Amino acid sequence: MQLETNVTGAEVQRGQIWKRFKKQKVLHLFVGLGLIFLVIFSYTPMFGILMAFKDYSISDGIKGIFTSDWVGLRYFDEFVHDYQFGKIVRNTLVLSFLKVIFAFPAPIILAILLNEVKSMPFKRFVQTISYLPHFISWVVVVGVSYAFLSADLGLVNKALLQAGFIDQPLNILTSPNYFWGLAVGSAVWKEMGWWTIIFLAAITGINPSLYEAAEIDGAGRLARIRHITLPGMKGTIVVVLVLTIGSILGGGLVGSNFEQAYLLGNSINNPTSEIVQTYAFKVGLSDGRFSYASAIDLIQSVISVILIFSSNFIAKRVSGSSLF
Amino acid sequence: MPKSQKQKDLVMDSIVYLLLSIIALTMLYPFYYVLIASFNKGSDTLLGGMYLWPRSVTFENYRIFLEDPKWMKAFLVTVARTVSGTALGLLLTSLVAYALSHRDLLFSKFYFTLIIFAMYFSGGLIPYYVVLRSLGLLNTFGVYIVPSMLNTFFLLIAISFFREIPGELKESAHMDGAGEFTIYFRIILPVSMPLLATMALFMGVGQWNSWLDSAYFVQSENLRTLTFRMMEIINQSNAPMDSVAVANRPGGGVTSFSLQVTSMVVSILPIICVYPFLQKYFVHGIMLGSVKG
Repeated sequence: MQLETNVTGAEVQRGQIWKRFKKQKVLHLFVGLGLIFLVIFSYTPMFGILMAFKDYSISDGIKGIFTSDWVGLRYFDEFVHDYQFGKIVRNTLVLSFLKVIFAFPAPIILAILLNEVKSMPFKRFVQTISYLPHFISWVVVVGVSYAFLSADLGLVNKALLQAGFIDQPLNILTSPNYFWGLAVGSAVWKEMGWWTIIFLAAITGINPSLYEAAEIDGAGRLARIRHITLPGMKGTIVVVLVLTIGSILGGGLVGSNFEQAYLLGNSINNPTSEIVQTYAFKVGLSDGRFSYASAIDLIQSVISVILIFSSNFIAKRVSGSSLF
Repeated sequence: MPKSQKQKDLVMDSIVYLLLSIIALTMLYPFYYVLIASFNKGSDTLLGGMYLWPRSVTFENYRIFLEDPKWMKAFLVTVARTVSGTALGLLLTSLVAYALSHRDLLFSKFYFTLIIFAMYFSGGLIPYYVVLRSLGLLNTFGVYIVPSMLNTFFLLIAISFFREIPGELKESAHMDGAGEFTIYFRIILPVSMPLLATMALFMGVGQWNSWLDSAYFVQSENLRTLTFRMMEIINQSNAPMDSVAVANRPGGGVTSFSLQVTSMVVSILPIICVYPFLQKYFVHGIMLGSVKG
């Protein structure tokens, strides 16, 4: 008897869900429209990762991802034994870490400096200018780099030559020695101002009476920065740091490793500018070796995912704040 | 004691103002230099030593730029993709967000899981290329606008925005017999202008600045964008012995480099024009994103 009521209860419930669904059907239609895009442009490429383990040829189309022959880890093995492997992995790691080391503190320092400014117009002026490069394409940033640093036409080289500081123009853009500095410098230049928005917002959230109390207690400005401003930003700093470390292989805060390395890279600075993503891209789209390129890409994705989760886990342990 | 404190303050103030001035200058001057170089005779710029004003003022760079059908076409393609890509992206993203903003929507947990998963994980560029190829999108104008129509980041922001809209608005419209689409179009969108403006500006800037799709998903010369042409001429003006080519150019004194800076000004100008609006909305927008709805 009990069983009977259960069945009818479930039936009633099912009927209600169906009724609700019918009432919402237009909304589900809207969502469905979005899901089509999500499935095509996000989920199908995820299944496409399978081709890293297969002997895929582009002429097979999308179906070939499933029908081509399995080759196991052959392409992973090939990448590890690629004569460029060491160089590429080193460049990816060094560039990523350098960017975190320089790009992460830069906006925090800028935000603290801006917070110390009493003149509002000046503060607003500097802020307004510092965001601007964020909205400019990497192509323009590369164009600016050439206009200033190129050996033949660069303004900096010309000025240094004329002033007699150097006898030969510096090959900043076409020398492996300068690429890391160039990449980190241009990335910080482009994104520093943008990230100050978040840190300045954190500073705004600090209770002003804390500053007043500290002033009465005789704390100088540096002491106030150290004991009030910085601790007040702690939560934000941790969240941004987690984000940064999670996306470190893509360039962290300045998230631009691929486009930057691709556009600023050339055959001469290649020994320091070739990274995993640019290499996968060239191998895939220029040489047409799709399976091999996906395998290389996949190695990077797996490391990134591990980094996201482990940095999130550590942040949760250390400070209680985390992303998810 | 108060005096030394005051002196200390003065020293600190000077350091702060000096550092910030240097930072502002390094951010601003490159744009200024590109601007004056675009109004200077190309062959004269190559001599160097021009820092503050154009030395040999000319509009020749802009004339050559405007008369070259290659540049004009690239400009028009870029405008077209920016306008249509932004409009379609805005429409689809906000429509889906409207549906998902209903708290009582069935399966919404499933829908959200799908969206968030797609935000964190991607198949990478190579499988993505294969998908575009299979859909026949390669080498069409559609490759610029179709894949970016659903923007998952703005989808989540729009959902939390729509949830703030008082439910009475929707209910009264329902009473009057309005369908979901009418409510979305006639009631939700008009009260969401700050959100739509933020989305439009960011999607627009993204479209305007995009380079990769024009370089690798398109072969037709008719579909090249401004960023592609710009990268092309940057490589050209830095090829060795470019100064030899100067003499062969019509218009006297126009060089690859002067065309390069001219195209850069053309590319930056629209962004500077919408910049005041961007600024008004993006602080709000970035905060919307960080506050969970």
